[in-house]
Amino acid sequence: MTSDVLPSQQAQASSDGDAILRLRDRRLQGRNRRRVIDLGMHLFLLSVGLLVSAPVIIAILTSFKLPADVFNFPPQLLPETWTLANYSTAWNSTPLGRMLINSFVQTGIITAVSVAFSVPAAYAFAMMKFPGRDKLFYVVVGSLMIPFELVFIPNFLLVSGWGWTNTFRGLTVPFLASAFGIFLLRQFFMALPQDLHDAAKVDGASSLRFMWQILIPLSRGAIGAFAIFAFLSAWNQFLWPLIITDSVDMRTTQIGIRFFLFDQERGSDWGAIMAAAVIVMIPTLIAFFVAQKQLVRGIAMSGLKG
Amino acid sequence: MAAPTQLVPQQSTPQRSTAARVKKVLGRFEGYFYLLPSFVILSIFIFLPAITTFTLSLNRTAPFGSDTIFVGLGNYRRLLTDPQYYEGVVVTFWFIVGTVPLAIVLAVALAIALSYPLGRLSPIYQMLVFLPVVISSAVTGILFRWLFNPIVGNINYLISLFGVDGPNWLASRTWSLVAVIIAVVWGQLGFNVIIALAGVQNIDETLYEAAKVDGAKLWQRIRYVTLPMLTPTLFFLSVINVIFSLQAFAEINILTDGGPGRSTTTLIYAVYRDAFIGTPQRGYASAQAYLLLIVVVLLSLIQFKFLAKKVHYQ
Repeated sequence: MTSDVLPSQQAQASSDGDAILRLRDRRLQGRNRRRVIDLGMHLFLLSVGLLVSAPVIIAILTSFKLPADVFNFPPQLLPETWTLANYSTAWNSTPLGRMLINSFVQTGIITAVSVAFSVPAAYAFAMMKFPGRDKLFYVVVGSLMIPFELVFIPNFLLVSGWGWTNTFRGLTVPFLASAFGIFLLRQFFMALPQDLHDAAKVDGASSLRFMWQILIPLSRGAIGAFAIFAFLSAWNQFLWPLIITDSVDMRTTQIGIRFFLFDQERGSDWGAIMAAAVIVMIPTLIAFFVAQKQLVRGIAMSGLKG
Repeated sequence: MAAPTQLVPQQSTPQRSTAARVKKVLGRFEGYFYLLPSFVILSIFIFLPAITTFTLSLNRTAPFGSDTIFVGLGNYRRLLTDPQYYEGVVVTFWFIVGTVPLAIVLAVALAIALSYPLGRLSPIYQMLVFLPVVISSAVTGILFRWLFNPIVGNINYLISLFGVDGPNWLASRTWSLVAVIIAVVWGQLGFNVIIALAGVQNIDETLYEAAKVDGAKLWQRIRYVTLPMLTPTLFFLSVINVIFSLQAFAEINILTDGGPGRSTTTLIYAVYRDAFIGTPQRGYASAQAYLLLIVVVLLSLIQFKFLAKKVHYQ
């Protein structure tokens, strides 16, 4: 290792004595070792990251292959010829446009309204005083224990009994409130100083005005985290849209792509299936790249606070 | 929570007008108005159905038409003697055994690796690993249906590089459940790593320094500092993953539709099949859903208890 030491350092070291030279050597050795470990970690994390995202990457690359090349063996990663043919097949053989609109309307309504309902509720739980407040909060926490997937039969009977099958009402109304959102936002509001609320009250501000002008501007990050969470879970819903819609016109993308899969698989047009899957993924991928921080924060908060 | 400071002493002022008194009473109950919209929705679509699932389970729907006959606990009695139900319990058991430990080990290992400081490239690696979190279960099912293609699928191609012929995953009674497990673990990976990474990053840095001073090697630091400090996170992850696995639906629907045979028909999938496929048996399906609901609620209660304890202990 001595050979790695620069001449100037060596000169300096010899004048300082052998002990210091040895110390320097060891430090340099440590630094080199650290560099090797860093390089190893870079390579390791890059390969693991690519492996984890491989299903998505493969889908994207497959969607650009010529239909004839999709079934090449051994499977090639990159398309030999890049083409948009699969996208036009997917777009033309299923009403993807209509389904995207359905999904956007459904997701938009659920996201906007569940934020609008959760913020005031969380505010009341975090800062207002009224009889039974904490008991009611336990009721909300309790509802977190009841997964929608396990109570969908009575919900289906109820909502279809109202004649809401194949309507946006049927798709959205059951999800307009979010116990998770109330819980998450309450945790955040509780961390704000209660004096803020009391002082505003003393100054004569109404609760509504406090919420609009102070609380919401202060909590944009937390509200954004919940909004992105609500957007993703609404967009990705499967079981409920599957049972509450049966007309092609009212299907959401997730359901549409399922039927597209089973229609196309007979013809084994996997290029087109992958193109449709990519189209369905795009909005969530955009949300992920734009708001990764908020999303990660929202999820991490749910984990740390239970 | 700090007790709010009372800035204005509350004194009864007899001269106060009725309007002010009404306003004060309204103010006391103002909070309810803020809760109302959420509570209406939660009551109708979560609390009420939690009860009606049970009342439905006490009835049998006539195969044609919507007449229902009260059968008491008949549906539950039928469950006890239904071999298909037992099959569902067994499939669900192996499904959970396959998904939960694998999901947690992967998540913790990746979280520890991702917490290693690598400067500006760290966020890119994190992004690649977090990615599955935004992919829907339905799309996950489709992606893996392609990867599991017995002839040109990438998974069997990888296996063939080791000189082994991969199975026909989705058509095989033995391998179909493994295929679903792999897809579900992948789908949950992003969420799990985010939680685990938050847990790892929450560990006090000085603990590592102390361990380093004591001469602990990397593996020892992981074994004696990271993992013990991560216990609450690990506990949260195990419970939430069991709950996720009990609810896994879209992946099964798209990959195998519960088959071949009933080899991937978990309890929740049987609920869906009995309630919506063929002749709907909604009472019978409700009885199954209700039993599953009890399991999920019990698991959540254990989790809340444990987390409450953790708060006290800190």
